[in-house]
Amino acid sequence: MTELLPLVPVGVTFDAFTDIDFWISVGILAGIYTIFALGLQLNVGFTGIQNFGQVGFMAIAAYSMAILTTTPDGGEGINFWISLPLSVLITIGFALLVGLPSLRLRADYFAIATIALAESVRLIALNARGLTNGAQGIFGFDRSWDDFTDGIRDFIVDIGWTDVPNIFPLFLVTWVLAIGLTIALSRMQRTPWGRVLRAIREDEDAARALGKNAFSYKLQSLALSATLAAIAGFLFVINIKFVVPDSFLPIVTFTGYAVLILGGLANYWGVAVGSIILWTILEGLRFMDLPLEETQIAALRFILLNLTLILLLAFRPQGILGKREEMVLGE
Amino acid sequence: MSSGNGGRPAIFEAEGIVKQFGGIRAVNGATMHVEEKSITALIGPNGAGKTTFFNLITGFYRPDAGRAVFAGREIQGRPPYVIANLGMVRTFQITKALARMPVIDNMMLAAPDQPGENLANVIFRPFSWRKREAEVREQAMELLDSFNLARLADEYAGTLSGGQRKLLELARALMARPRFLLLDEPMAGINPTLGRRLLDHMQRLRAEEGVTFLFIEHDMEVVMNHSDRVIVMAEGKVIADGEPHEVRQDKTVIDAYLGGAVVSQ
Amino acid sequence: MEAGALAVRRDRNTSERFADLVNRLNTLPYIVKAGAGIVLLDLVLLIADRFPDGGGEWLLFALIFAATIAALVPFEGRAVPIAAIVLVNVAATLILLHSLHDVAQRGINGLSLGSIYALAGVGLTLVYGILKLVNFAHGDFLAFGAYMAYIVNVTWGGPLILGILLAIVATAALGIALEKGMFAPMRRKGAGVLQLLLMTLALGFVIRYTIQFIWSTELRQLDVNRSAAVELPGDLRIGRISLIIVIVGIVTLVATGLMLRLTMLGKQMRALSDNIDLAETSGINTSRVILYTWIFAAGLAGLAGVFYGASTQLQPEMGFELLLPIFAAVVLGGIGNAFGALTAGLVLGVVIEWSTLFMASGLKFVVGFAILIIVLVIRPEGIFGRARTV
Repeated sequence: MTELLPLVPVGVTFDAFTDIDFWISVGILAGIYTIFALGLQLNVGFTGIQNFGQVGFMAIAAYSMAILTTTPDGGEGINFWISLPLSVLITIGFALLVGLPSLRLRADYFAIATIALAESVRLIALNARGLTNGAQGIFGFDRSWDDFTDGIRDFIVDIGWTDVPNIFPLFLVTWVLAIGLTIALSRMQRTPWGRVLRAIREDEDAARALGKNAFSYKLQSLALSATLAAIAGFLFVINIKFVVPDSFLPIVTFTGYAVLILGGLANYWGVAVGSIILWTILEGLRFMDLPLEETQIAALRFILLNLTLILLLAFRPQGILGKREEMVLGE
Repeated sequence: MSSGNGGRPAIFEAEGIVKQFGGIRAVNGATMHVEEKSITALIGPNGAGKTTFFNLITGFYRPDAGRAVFAGREIQGRPPYVIANLGMVRTFQITKALARMPVIDNMMLAAPDQPGENLANVIFRPFSWRKREAEVREQAMELLDSFNLARLADEYAGTLSGGQRKLLELARALMARPRFLLLDEPMAGINPTLGRRLLDHMQRLRAEEGVTFLFIEHDMEVVMNHSDRVIVMAEGKVIADGEPHEVRQDKTVIDAYLGGAVVSQ
Repeated sequence: MEAGALAVRRDRNTSERFADLVNRLNTLPYIVKAGAGIVLLDLVLLIADRFPDGGGEWLLFALIFAATIAALVPFEGRAVPIAAIVLVNVAATLILLHSLHDVAQRGINGLSLGSIYALAGVGLTLVYGILKLVNFAHGDFLAFGAYMAYIVNVTWGGPLILGILLAIVATAALGIALEKGMFAPMRRKGAGVLQLLLMTLALGFVIRYTIQFIWSTELRQLDVNRSAAVELPGDLRIGRISLIIVIVGIVTLVATGLMLRLTMLGKQMRALSDNIDLAETSGINTSRVILYTWIFAAGLAGLAGVFYGASTQLQPEMGFELLLPIFAAVVLGGIGNAFGALTAGLVLGVVIEWSTLFMASGLKFVVGFAILIIVLVIRPEGIFGRARTV
């Protein structure tokens, strides 16, 4: 079985061994981005805050996990399964720290501030060699995970499917989480808490005049979104087996937004739809048989993706499953 | 300037409220009080600072100086949600119906003390809030019914007409169980019949529930015939404060309006 | 049911106690708050100096901490003298910790970077001032200009001056095309803030990846003499390229300032920036002025891009790399304020270069981001902007 290392965003090419292996890996990416973009949907579609720093939360979680689970000399640190909730807590802490000063800013300023913060995280990860190993990154954090997936695979073989691909357990876990989180978020939306969030998105002053502490709710939304980014982050680095700063470029956040635009705002199930469509097209374009070099094909895929987004934003801003009113026109 | 404190205790007092924007003092030392269970009108020419004053005492702006006391507690500089939770609720000049939410959601949002609004409850105790939610829904439907809006409960608030939105705004504010309700131009843009109904509601609420009203209005007929007291602001200050017939004849008030509508009653 | 019976509820919970603490902090005399801020800043510099390697993470923790504290203590008084005092304080502290020569030398290097920020920032801020549009593709305009110059200077072997001209013209043309093809139609449709923001982001990516498509990710250089330097008094040196950038940059910026102040077009641009509806009704041909604004902003961006490419190197990501420091300059100077962007750009360049005295140079952009965040948090209207009221 070939080790599958997806192109985006690490920049290492991979070898499609068999069709099914390729598409399972696409499915994993789609699932990871679903979870990632669910957080964005909560922020943008349901609370009205333009969080453009989501990849920063992903990075904090991934690095925390990797740093906790490994030691600089290659040994083992804290137990992997314990490092996960700990990393989530660290990420939430960071989200609160970020949110406290910046959530009262206007929408476009908040976007700029969050991009700056996410980029700062990446640059620090790149330069704080003592802590993060700089550009070389951290590896070896997934031993416990591998044991776990071996267990899953054995189970699957036992129930009949003997030729199960190596990465299938990750695919399974990713989508179980993606669907579970989508259900959970949908249900949370139908509570009084969800109602307050929507009111804040509609008209924050009205919500405040009715006794709701809008700032606190926005912080909660950000913290939850950071948790989702954290989960996506864990799966992401497990998938590529490395934690490197280059995995956390701003384009990841923007791809998340692309998923939102495709699937439609204010619609949790649309996120999965958007993600699947995006990754199918993006990865499907890989098979374009053109007399071009590797980096050129990569560039072309992104050009097409972004042109499509511009067209979508111009002519169908509500996405595939969204309602026209949701994408605020003339705000 | 101020008439005697008629016998009813003051539920709200403002002292020397000042607010400066750039070089302009929009509110320049406003001092007044509102008696409990009264229906008080706040009038004044355009630019007098009435809405700014509302914003200041309800926490939407921060006063540069001055004191505001509601039900014995100092509220100047407190954020809007704190003031609303204390029982001092305001509406807005341009209605803020939450357009992309159904009318019933608009109403239920306003109810105080909802355990379902707490994230911890939502995640860890998903059934603890159902009872209160049902209560709130019932109260909301009752209130909508008394305003004749019950049949619109599931419509998006954005589809309501202007007059219906005003009623919704009032009904929603009432869901918050206010002791003191501040209405910013409640009669603006609605037909007289609807206006009459609104005034009837106000009287009923004052009588049955003991709600105090302070409303900004330009319609002098409403002010003169339906309010217990009138407070007049001009150029950021309170220039008169008394019963409607007193204020109508007050010279400073007439000057402020440049001989306008006040006299023609 | 008695109205207001539930009013006395949750009397003093944590967030209210917190708010009270903040209010009490606010009432401290201004000099105490300012003094505490300065002390904090100097402590941060001192600590950063102790950890030259990988001290970045501590610095950022400290900066964020300082920013959060500072955010809770509103800024009052006049912004310009305060900013000037802080700058002097930083310079003095650095001189104490290092030497006057080092600080001056890095400062000079920083002026060149600062000119580039200023040129790009003026364009960005003008577009924002008139259209209220934050153009996230602006950095990629710079990259576009740089690569246009590359075509002339390297691919065709022409002199750099021709490359600069092509860069300016081509980028201006790009600006025109985008205004007519994308921004004007979207404005007519009544597009919302988020929509436009996302479109400019996507546009930036299109430009970036088109550049990558044509020129790949290989690092490229313009055909310039990077090592020639000019000796200055006090044993200081400035690279010839840097000197040209500073001179041309300042001349261009002064010319821009004069244009805005004195010419009819400039006055119209300022009128639109103040109140676009009023300008429209008073007979100004707004779409023409908007077009000229784009030409202007894009042209400046193209120029800045060539300068940046000449002083470092060209790669497709250069645009985004520059975007955040440019935002920092724009926000610091007061968004919509061209003079502010100019000053702030220069200051930012100098401060970023100073930071290399005590931080790994890979982290110097973090300083830019930190300043951006701090400004957004303390005083979003910038040094030269008018204070918000709510």
